[in-house]
Amino acid sequence: MKLIRRKDPESRSPLDEIADTRGEATEPSDEIIICRDIHKWFGDFHALRGITTTVRRSEVVVVFGPSGSGKSTFIRTINRLDEHQRGEIIVDGRTLSNDVRNIDAIRREVGMVFQSFNLFPHLTVLRNITLAPMKVRRLTGDQAEEAAMDLLVRVGIPEQAHKFPGELSGGQQQRVAIARALAMQPKIMLFDEPTSALDPEMIKEVLDVMREMAGTGMTMICVTHEMGFAREVADRMMMFDLGRIMEEGPPEQIFDDPQSERTKLFLSQIL
Amino acid sequence: MTVSQPNPAAEGALPPPRAERGVIGWLRFNLFKDWRSSLLTVVAAIAVVFALFYGLRWIFVQADWGVVAELGGRIAIGNYNTVDSCASQNCFWRPQAVLIGFVLILGMAWGVAGKGMTRNIAIGAATVISLFAFLPYSWEEMGMDVRLLLAANLPALGVGWLLARYTPLSTYLRISLLAVAWFVVSMVLLRGITGAPGLQPVSVNNWGGFMVNLILAVGGIALSLPIGILLALGRRSRSPVVRLRIPLGNLRKLKLSLPIVKWLCIAFIELFRGVPLLALLFLSQYLLPLALPEGFFLTRIPLLRTAIVITLFSAAYMAENVRGGIQGLHPGQAEAARALGLSGIRTIRLITLPQALRNVIPAIVGQFISLFKDTTLVYIIGVLEVVEIGRSFIQGNIQIWGGADKEYFIFVAAIFWIFTFGMSRISRRVEERLGSDSRARN
Repeated sequence: MKLIRRKDPESRSPLDEIADTRGEATEPSDEIIICRDIHKWFGDFHALRGITTTVRRSEVVVVFGPSGSGKSTFIRTINRLDEHQRGEIIVDGRTLSNDVRNIDAIRREVGMVFQSFNLFPHLTVLRNITLAPMKVRRLTGDQAEEAAMDLLVRVGIPEQAHKFPGELSGGQQQRVAIARALAMQPKIMLFDEPTSALDPEMIKEVLDVMREMAGTGMTMICVTHEMGFAREVADRMMMFDLGRIMEEGPPEQIFDDPQSERTKLFLSQIL
Repeated sequence: MTVSQPNPAAEGALPPPRAERGVIGWLRFNLFKDWRSSLLTVVAAIAVVFALFYGLRWIFVQADWGVVAELGGRIAIGNYNTVDSCASQNCFWRPQAVLIGFVLILGMAWGVAGKGMTRNIAIGAATVISLFAFLPYSWEEMGMDVRLLLAANLPALGVGWLLARYTPLSTYLRISLLAVAWFVVSMVLLRGITGAPGLQPVSVNNWGGFMVNLILAVGGIALSLPIGILLALGRRSRSPVVRLRIPLGNLRKLKLSLPIVKWLCIAFIELFRGVPLLALLFLSQYLLPLALPEGFFLTRIPLLRTAIVITLFSAAYMAENVRGGIQGLHPGQAEAARALGLSGIRTIRLITLPQALRNVIPAIVGQFISLFKDTTLVYIIGVLEVVEIGRSFIQGNIQIWGGADKEYFIFVAAIFWIFTFGMSRISRRVEERLGSDSRARN
């Protein structure tokens, strides 16, 4: 894995610089996601209890914590699959509001990969990938297919292009899902437990793709319990519990010198 | 799948036990597995033999099918071509022209589809219709013109096939649009145009026979599915919403969100599902005209009122079928589409509906079949549809045909069965085709 980025923020790779200059001219800020005091309730259940954090361009953030702690909800508020009820979220210079156009504009820039893949079973792999670029980005069929084939080569399964999702293994399906999200050329990628539904031998093939993506300078927020991956690739880790960020810091701190008792306990249980 | 590669799982795999293979194996496994199944097999076989013997003997020896022959063309078009409805009695060619048009379109569908079920249905239907030209009636009862128009269906099929092969009319979309257009033209042709030579108006009230059942069924099927889809989507919608803010004194306000569209759809669906179809048909006949302004076209055409009622009734059921299909989908499907930036409408059109409809094809086709059979209920407003034309004829000639009800009703039952069986076979094929496209689901 030559592409793996050095985690030391002082020595940035050239790829990072390229990624940084790609940002919007109107919003040259290095901070691509800004969350201020986000709250979210499901009925009476207080799922997010004041999340405040900032994600910089090209940063890889790993979010972990016990189930029901609000990890998934947190990343789902960023592209408004879940609506936050209090606080403010600014994604790539746009403040999330109820304006449908604004939401769609943000979703175009934010790719998402789900635990259950959510490929469209009635469309071929190629069509799964080309659908959104053609309908939303208005690419022609040829352009979209060419881009899709490039992406399939990148995730290592170009030979599956004309099959249907149901004919692929779980790991292959998840790699198609990643290619589908990347086809929209997003600035941010959200991963919601991308390997939790996979057999052990398939986890690696998905993580390899994610490692490679981190190497290209993509801004990534990953909800995952793959701690090996986190230690290797993450710039920052967030420990969620009871709808709050219990602890936040570089992997070295989280693994070697956790500040909170809750983090220590949780890590001791999963490692 | 990768068939050509050597399959590592095949090594060491054994063939299934001998006893379960071949004809003997099949018989032993399925019919004579133990003494109980052997007994059941023998009893069932005896019952089948007896049923076949008495059934076939009745059909071929005892039954008198004279009533069917006597009614003849009236089974197909009712009293459309009698003196009462068409004074010159030269209106027979209009339903026949409609039929030829649809056979032509069927031929085009065959041309596009190539082999398979479409071809079998097209050739089968056109052949049977053409063979009617050779029915053993006298020349007085069945003239050369009628026979020629019937026989013309087979060449019409060929013309349709050629059109699909050698003209731009070679896509399903164009053929479907053509079929819709032809349906509209057919209505005008059957109704006639006042003053147009050869197109003497025939009151809709005089339409009859199987023609009426088919018109109601085709129109109902074509309209009830889209209406049902809209109702289902409306029922699931949260917007448009009317927001009310009612001030309740000092600084407190009662906020109300009223999903009007959703409520209207629910009211419509529950109303039409909660009332028997027969009651709705009666209401449309006796209550609706009172509510409409005098001279409004709906008050003059009872058949159109029943057509609307049957369609809406079916649409209400269709809406619930479609809603079931949508709710059966994993919510992640719509989420994934929205996360890619697809709009709500595109998500429904490209992702949700195709999957939802595929999942409920059996229920949808069941509703189609139900609608088709319900068209016989229009007899209550005096329309001589296929069942009623025979029943009223037998009643009117009770001295001659008094005992012939059973022959006629069995004949009509057979016609309906052939059509509905065809519909369910087509739906099976559609299901298989769509299903094989996606194999296992997520």
